[in-house]
Amino acid sequence: MPYKVSNEKLTLREQAYLPEMIRGLGVTARHFLRNLFTRRDPAPEILDREGPCQITTVQYPEEKVEYPPGYRGLHRLVPREDGSPRCVACYMCATVCPAQCIYIEAGEYPADDPSAPNRVIERYPTKFVIDELRCIVCGFCVEACPKDAIRMDTGLHAVSSEERRAFMLEREALLRGPAVEHPSDPWRKREDSSAPEHGEKEAHRRISPRKNGG
Amino acid sequence: MRLRWGMILLVFVGLPALLFGLSAGFYALAALAEGLFTGGAGVVNVFTLLLVMVMVFSALLTLAERKWSAAMQDRIGPNRANLGPLRLGGLFHFVADALKMLFKEDFTPAGADKWLFRLAPALAFIPVFCLFAVVPVAPPVELFGETVSLQIANPDFGVLYVFAFASLAVFGTALAGWASNNKLALLGGVRATSQMISYEVALGLSLVGAIAAFSALTPAGGSSLRLEQMVESQSTWLWGGGGGFDFGVPAWGILLQPLGFVLFFAAAFAETKRAPFDMPEGESEIVGYFVEYSGMRFGLFMISEFVEIVVLSGVIASVFFGGYHLPFGEAWLQGHLGDFWFAALQGSVFWLKVIVLAWLQLAIRWTFPRFRYDQVQKLGWRILLPAGLFNVFATAALVLLDPSLRLLALFGLAQIALLVYLVGSGGKPAPAAPDERPVAVSDHDGVSA
Repeated sequence: MPYKVSNEKLTLREQAYLPEMIRGLGVTARHFLRNLFTRRDPAPEILDREGPCQITTVQYPEEKVEYPPGYRGLHRLVPREDGSPRCVACYMCATVCPAQCIYIEAGEYPADDPSAPNRVIERYPTKFVIDELRCIVCGFCVEACPKDAIRMDTGLHAVSSEERRAFMLEREALLRGPAVEHPSDPWRKREDSSAPEHGEKEAHRRISPRKNGG
Repeated sequence: MRLRWGMILLVFVGLPALLFGLSAGFYALAALAEGLFTGGAGVVNVFTLLLVMVMVFSALLTLAERKWSAAMQDRIGPNRANLGPLRLGGLFHFVADALKMLFKEDFTPAGADKWLFRLAPALAFIPVFCLFAVVPVAPPVELFGETVSLQIANPDFGVLYVFAFASLAVFGTALAGWASNNKLALLGGVRATSQMISYEVALGLSLVGAIAAFSALTPAGGSSLRLEQMVESQSTWLWGGGGGFDFGVPAWGILLQPLGFVLFFAAAFAETKRAPFDMPEGESEIVGYFVEYSGMRFGLFMISEFVEIVVLSGVIASVFFGGYHLPFGEAWLQGHLGDFWFAALQGSVFWLKVIVLAWLQLAIRWTFPRFRYDQVQKLGWRILLPAGLFNVFATAALVLLDPSLRLLALFGLAQIALLVYLVGSGGKPAPAAPDERPVAVSDHDGVSA
């Protein structure tokens, strides 16, 4: 924001220059002594420091600033409690993706699968590949997913590798993080027609306890 | 408040103890060498004071400049250089810097005057380095049957030697600019020359007052140009003194010559060519007289600036801050410590003063915006020179009126009091004026129009 510059005439004291120089030196000296003799607060989330030490540097690889809650990091496929992906291979994310970086091959649970959830949801991805080099991190896939099966809450943003191949993330690499179950999940069919017991809107709550960045 | 006890211990205990030990060791070495052959103390002093103390101080100042400026700007500063797990807060950065300088390609531009191009860094470095020879670090003392002092040379013309060699340094700068065959380097060299010429006059005049004042305290037959004599003069008392703890007002140069101190500091600062007087370098416009230099040749220009800081601190400490003398309690300490250990203590006091003054110079460099070129000239010719002349005449008159210098000290104290008042009367900036934009008249209120 532009601010008004006051072009007031200098007083005689200010024109003498030396007193104001010494006052300026006082400011520098104060900062110097405070920062030299008091301990730096290493908590990276405190950028607006109150203590006597005013150093605001974050020592990056060792200390990391916590990301804001809406921050979009590396994708993950959300697992269920039993470890299988929540994804039902509906292709919504692959369709909405503007960079076309998601590749899915769908498979079907066999009809005689003994596990009750699998009989309800029928389909699952046999292949789920995200090309992280093409991804533009827009988050549309997360918005499009009807099953809360893909999220960008890993907090990883600076993934690096020396070969391009390493950025083609397969299903095994994507399926990570804490499992998520919702009361409204279809495999939790209720006997009657009562409303599901939403304690809160889980889908909009960050379930994994956030760690510092990636 | 979480204090850094390690740093506090280091600064207030470790550093003085280290300097104390070094001073004692230097005395012992000098005395042993003097026992071997006459003049051995001087040779050893060249090594201990110049090559060890001044060079290590300047090398550490390159790091200090980065770390201290970081502290002044709420940063951490370089702290990654390490020897394995040993980091010491980035202490090894100056080693890394030196290695980098040594291993970089030493490049000479095609059109350069080869001979002068190679000579210039040495010409810039040597005079500055030699300056320290006349600075008295610690007093003469009897040790192992020899009388030695931590001072390389003690000529009668001490202050004149300082002026002479300080002005020689500009040859290196000017030649570097000329020999590089580069327009910008030449501009830098020319600027350096004109700046040196302008400030040489003020530099000389600003010390005339101090020389005049100390001549009143110099015993007959002594030379008041001799730096050691100046330091000794400052151990006399203006008021008080003596008694059990030896407490009083010492005849320090800063009390007798506050104006002279400010003028000398400003002029000498301009001679070091550091910001805010970094016209010859002029990073933002002409890059500087050393544009074409690389590797250790550039390193010599850089290190000579830092050597200059140390030397300037030493000279200022000697002339204005009592050199190796404490402001009080000297007789008491000497009685309790004995001559030798007291002398070693005085040596450490001198180096502590040098450190504080070097810090002050770095703080100035990191506080003030640089001057414009015309402002530099204006400051030199229209402010420092007349003020220096005034200081000379006022000091001379007061010394003649009262050879005990008390009148001069009162005059000096009045100047300091005026400065303190002026500094103190500077209030906080007025609170920001309330928003003066006209309040937008809402359209929804008087629609009927």
